[in-house]
Amino acid sequence: MSATLTTRQLLWQPVFANNPVAMQVLGVCSALAVSNSMQTALVMTLAVTFVVVCSNLFISLIRHLIPNSVRIIAQMTIIASLVIVVDMVLQDLAPELSKQLSVFVGLIITNCIVMGRAEAFAMKEPPHLAVLDALGNSAGYGFILLSVAFVRELLSAGTLFGKQLLQTVADGGWYLPNEMFKLPPSAFFLIGVIIWLINIARNRQR
Amino acid sequence: MAFNKDSVAGTFLFTIVLCLVCSFMITGTAGVLKERKLAKQRNELMQNVLLAANIPSDNSNFKTLFSARVTPMLVTLADGQTVPQEDLLDYDERMAAINPEHSSKIAKDTARIKTRANQIRIFRVHDAQGQLQSWVLPIYGKGLWSIIYGFIGLQPDLNTIEGVVFYEHGETPGIGDFINHEDWRQKWHGKQLFDADGKVALKIIKGGAKPGDVNGIDGVSGATRTGAGVQNMISFWFGDEGFAPLLTKLKAMETTK
Repeated sequence: MSATLTTRQLLWQPVFANNPVAMQVLGVCSALAVSNSMQTALVMTLAVTFVVVCSNLFISLIRHLIPNSVRIIAQMTIIASLVIVVDMVLQDLAPELSKQLSVFVGLIITNCIVMGRAEAFAMKEPPHLAVLDALGNSAGYGFILLSVAFVRELLSAGTLFGKQLLQTVADGGWYLPNEMFKLPPSAFFLIGVIIWLINIARNRQR
Repeated sequence: MAFNKDSVAGTFLFTIVLCLVCSFMITGTAGVLKERKLAKQRNELMQNVLLAANIPSDNSNFKTLFSARVTPMLVTLADGQTVPQEDLLDYDERMAAINPEHSSKIAKDTARIKTRANQIRIFRVHDAQGQLQSWVLPIYGKGLWSIIYGFIGLQPDLNTIEGVVFYEHGETPGIGDFINHEDWRQKWHGKQLFDADGKVALKIIKGGAKPGDVNGIDGVSGATRTGAGVQNMISFWFGDEGFAPLLTKLKAMETTK
């Protein structure tokens, strides 16, 4: 099937039609946890993008050398090392954000999207396709994360990227923040709505 | 000989090389970032000491304030003697506290920290002319979940509290983390550690301290054990196994000057 996949398809399919979070329901744990503000969602997306792109690239480069019996462990080793590097760099560049993201940067290791792409794609395809595939999938992940974070931050605090858009009652404005959107379960509903919308769009195309 | 990746030898070879490459990647990054991390720790230390000494600072001036107003010193806890030491800002107290050569077991471990360092780093805070304003001493002890680390600033009488800061802890978010909230820290200012007999009398009081109580600090409901942890660490550090000999020495030092 890979021969028929064009660059366009590789990049765009994972964003909507085959979105890793919405359609394959992978990586939901972190999507619930860090989607309470745009800033954390964006940083998380960047971190995941870096890890998926690098792991897909490295694994694809050495895919002919990886012994079959230890291939999962080999993938894990590469992914885990990349995550540790990301965590260290983040702690250095943005210690505050890194505190907010707390364990979830470390938990990128267990994010099924990373492992899934390595095992399902990078083990079989050449490096340039693997990188495109990684970019597409992290874009899909980021798309969900950022759309959920957009709604959650706007409704729970009236802000976007920390900028006040809706004047809250506490500040003498009119908007009464909806506390439910501060909590992770609200992301469940939002992701559900996104899955529904994507399904409607796909059915219409048929 | 062709490389057979699925043979036992091939698998081992691959695994070893992969592990080496990955560990080089991690140690390389850590090495590059190490200096910056140390600098960051130094900055944090300076800001925390200034907070405990109740000297307002901001991001732009804390370094100059610290170097102009604060002198770090290394002292032996048992007799209060000053120990000459270079690079005190990088002195690693936590390593010293667990290193058997530089620490002692605690007999009456109210702070629940098992061992304490024989030498600790304290800070003499003075005005621009060198006149003593306060002493900043490190304190730490177990709260509910974690070791709480802090500094306490004492006025020259070594009894009245100038300020306090708890800069690192793992207490329950939203409940036990009040210990580093600005308004709670402010309550410590002007309180007294000791009663008239020279015993440690500072108490975190459930339900709030009575007005005029010089030794009482309001507790926070729901965080009884975090409060108790803070109180226990104060009684430990200002007791005989903690700062007692040092405080006597410091008092004598400043009166003879």
